[in-house]
Amino acid sequence: MGGRDRKQSLADRTPALEWIASSLGLLLTLGVLGSIGWEAVKGGNGRPPAIEVTVEGVTPIASGYVVEVRAHNRSAATAAAVQIEGELDKGGEPVTSTASIDYVPGKSDRRAGLFFADDPRAYPLELRAVGYAKP
Amino acid sequence: MNEAATHPGRSGDAGDERGTTNRGYAIGLARAAGGAIIFSLPLLMTMEMWFLGFYIDRPRLFLFLIVNFGLLVVLSRFVGFEQTSTWSDDVLDAFAAYGVAVIVSAAVLALFGILTPGMPRDEIVGKIAVQSVPASFGAMLARQQMSGDRKHEDQDEVERKAGYAGQLFLMTAGALFLAFNVAPTEEMILIGFKMTPWHAIGLVLLSILLLHAFVYTVGFAGQEDMGGEGGFRSSFVRYTIAGYGIALLVSFYVLWTFGRTDGTDPGQIASMTAVLAFPGAIGAAIARLVV
Repeated sequence: MGGRDRKQSLADRTPALEWIASSLGLLLTLGVLGSIGWEAVKGGNGRPPAIEVTVEGVTPIASGYVVEVRAHNRSAATAAAVQIEGELDKGGEPVTSTASIDYVPGKSDRRAGLFFADDPRAYPLELRAVGYAKP
Repeated sequence: MNEAATHPGRSGDAGDERGTTNRGYAIGLARAAGGAIIFSLPLLMTMEMWFLGFYIDRPRLFLFLIVNFGLLVVLSRFVGFEQTSTWSDDVLDAFAAYGVAVIVSAAVLALFGILTPGMPRDEIVGKIAVQSVPASFGAMLARQQMSGDRKHEDQDEVERKAGYAGQLFLMTAGALFLAFNVAPTEEMILIGFKMTPWHAIGLVLLSILLLHAFVYTVGFAGQEDMGGEGGFRSSFVRYTIAGYGIALLVSFYVLWTFGRTDGTDPGQIASMTAVLAFPGAIGAAIARLVV
């Protein structure tokens, strides 16, 4: 009998803050577990990183131009030590600039920049990811 | 004298009297400096922390410093290097702890040769500001850790008065401190990349289990009125799950502050958060032991 009274009073005096904190905690925990669990079930493992490099913008600077590039990883696999190369074809010998990005996580973007002496907007510019390492 | 006469209840407390004298305050400041060094030394010697000084997004750093200051003010009520009785006292204490933290961080960084006169002002300020966060925690906690003049019964009483909200706050402070301690290193994100989703799920479950083990064995103030039978479930939901939620939120906030979440897939963010929430959960669990 005493036990039942106490149970009832416990439910009664549970303050709003406890409800909020506990439900928020539960929601976040389930959210994280669900999100990671979805990745686990969906798989996508085994497919190597697939990195696309695109131009974000060109800015003139004192010593030439800087091309801001965005590396987007289409695969779920993370790539480390990603080498980005830009080749400017001015006729004759092509000019290349390289940059390296520490990590491009799966399905994520990372930004980098390439410097050129000539205006990259005036000539065809080819961008590509040259290589990566498995983290 | 008049002070003692108007507050007869406090006149007999030696700690209070010492806290109000200049000498006592100076001792408090010296302890704070010691605490600042102890708590921030691992990060003062972390390369990524110096780099963060120049690349961290300024509005986010500013917000982080404000949040940190708010935590210090409330923390001052719980521990503080001076015994406080009003909120304005707490704000003053937070400023003092922050000041000590900035001086200690600047001095140590300069001694390491990381701050040099030729650096732009922005970079110097950024480097000191980032380091001042863990240092200010140390400065604030110094009193509790280094002085024996506060009885544990007093401490329990303060905590009990603060109740559940106070426990949540302590868990937040603990989670922030430990998460912040490991978040700047590259290893933190590298672990996230090395783990498969199954590893991440295992880590989440282990974090919750450890957090609950701490909650259950160490015990939180006010836990004793939960009763025997419903005790496990009640403390699991009230403290462990709420605490892990706090660890997740704090971890995400720290990741966002350091710019780790920018342009990153939500699934990746979830696993990074799970990695950081591991130390975060431990920090939340032991907050009561440290504070």
